[in-house]
Amino acid sequence: MRRWRRMTEAMEIRVTDEGKEFRNRVLETPGAEKLMHCYQCGTCTSDCPVAKRVPEFRPRNIARLAMYGQKERLLSGDLLWLCAGCYTCYERCPQEVHVSEIVSALRKLALEEGRLHPTIKVLMGSLSEMGYVYEIGEFENEMREEDGLPPAPQPDVRAVEAIMRKTGLMDRMGGE
Amino acid sequence: MKYAFFVGCTTLSRLPGYEKSARRVAEKLGVELVDMPESGCCGTTYMETLDHKTFLALAARNIAIAEEMGLDIVTVCNGCTEVLTKANKELKENPELRREVNEVLAGTGKEFRGTQEVKHFVRMLKEDVGVDKIRSSSVKPFKGLKVGAHYGCHLLKPHEVMEFDDPEAPTSLDELIDATGARSVSYPNKLECCAGPVMGIREKVTWTVGLEKVEAVKKYADIMVTNCPFCYLTYERCQFMTENSPNVPIVHIPQLLGLAMGIDPDDLGISSNKVDASIMMEKQEA
Repeated sequence: MRRWRRMTEAMEIRVTDEGKEFRNRVLETPGAEKLMHCYQCGTCTSDCPVAKRVPEFRPRNIARLAMYGQKERLLSGDLLWLCAGCYTCYERCPQEVHVSEIVSALRKLALEEGRLHPTIKVLMGSLSEMGYVYEIGEFENEMREEDGLPPAPQPDVRAVEAIMRKTGLMDRMGGE
Repeated sequence: MKYAFFVGCTTLSRLPGYEKSARRVAEKLGVELVDMPESGCCGTTYMETLDHKTFLALAARNIAIAEEMGLDIVTVCNGCTEVLTKANKELKENPELRREVNEVLAGTGKEFRGTQEVKHFVRMLKEDVGVDKIRSSSVKPFKGLKVGAHYGCHLLKPHEVMEFDDPEAPTSLDELIDATGARSVSYPNKLECCAGPVMGIREKVTWTVGLEKVEAVKKYADIMVTNCPFCYLTYERCQFMTENSPNVPIVHIPQLLGLAMGIDPDDLGISSNKVDASIMMEKQEA
């Protein structure tokens, strides 16, 4: 009996104060309020197109790790950025936890911690510089003309950049 | 019928066949698509996950352009459709948020007022033009052409935002396909995501997801039809990432509709599709 108690004590999962703080940051992010309603049924994981092919990407585990405030395990590597945003887990979650929204909240926290995925950072940089995520300049417009298409709209780049500065996104992304 | 045409970065820069066929088909159906001056990227579905206010403001700037034109927006990209629809809905429903976002827009010369709607091309055809009109316009119908339809995710989901068709059992795209004389078939995992957004994170995942679907389509259909530039690029490119390419033509929905309407294949950019799609012309009534 005593031995059993010792074992369970050793195995007990404790949420550290740091973990609680991180969990609260997740819960305070709009969309992620229902995190603690997750009862780990795994519907999200069984229907996830990425989980079927990437063993380490498990939406259910992401929810569990978030409940325990496991910041490092969540923010390290490319885990959060493997979500394709297909909303299958969102649609099928019986508890309306919406793991895709949990991932979205975690990405916002990753950004705050300066851990935006480099690929996404490049895309967002292009958006602020060109108003498009891909270059649509002289060459592209010549190609369009050959295809019988009108020139692409010229985005108001100054407006786009001003928006991204004003919301503070540019600062959080790390300047340029 | 007249709409502000929001083409979106990917189609504008990479898929002339999609844009061209959408424009020609609209014209044929008496739908006027007007370009949106100064419009830019919708903000991307990534932005939704990164910063709520930036996502709203970038979308609102584009929507405000359509508001000035007094026209509803039509898009050809599932991603743009979801981003613009979600922002439009949130800003219309929440005056406090609208005020905050208009503060961000101050100085850009744009203001979100909440007067217009956003629609995907497929939705516009289904709801405003009507399937009957597509059927009666199909003067050169297909005969014996089997099509694997791919809806993609953001045309339908999240359902409380998109409010279109049934996300678990959609029919809109199949109905459009069937109206051309072709037959939209069922195949395994028809509603599965293309995983395109993961392409820049782990490319191999996207190619694997893509190839599995193309292989499934191959068993049941002659071609695959998409209504999103990302889905299209995934299913086309993945076939060039393997030695045993399944060689399934990937076709934009307006290309299929346009051929049935008797529009010249060159006007629909069919030759810009990387997997030869001439089987479509072979399976058409003269």
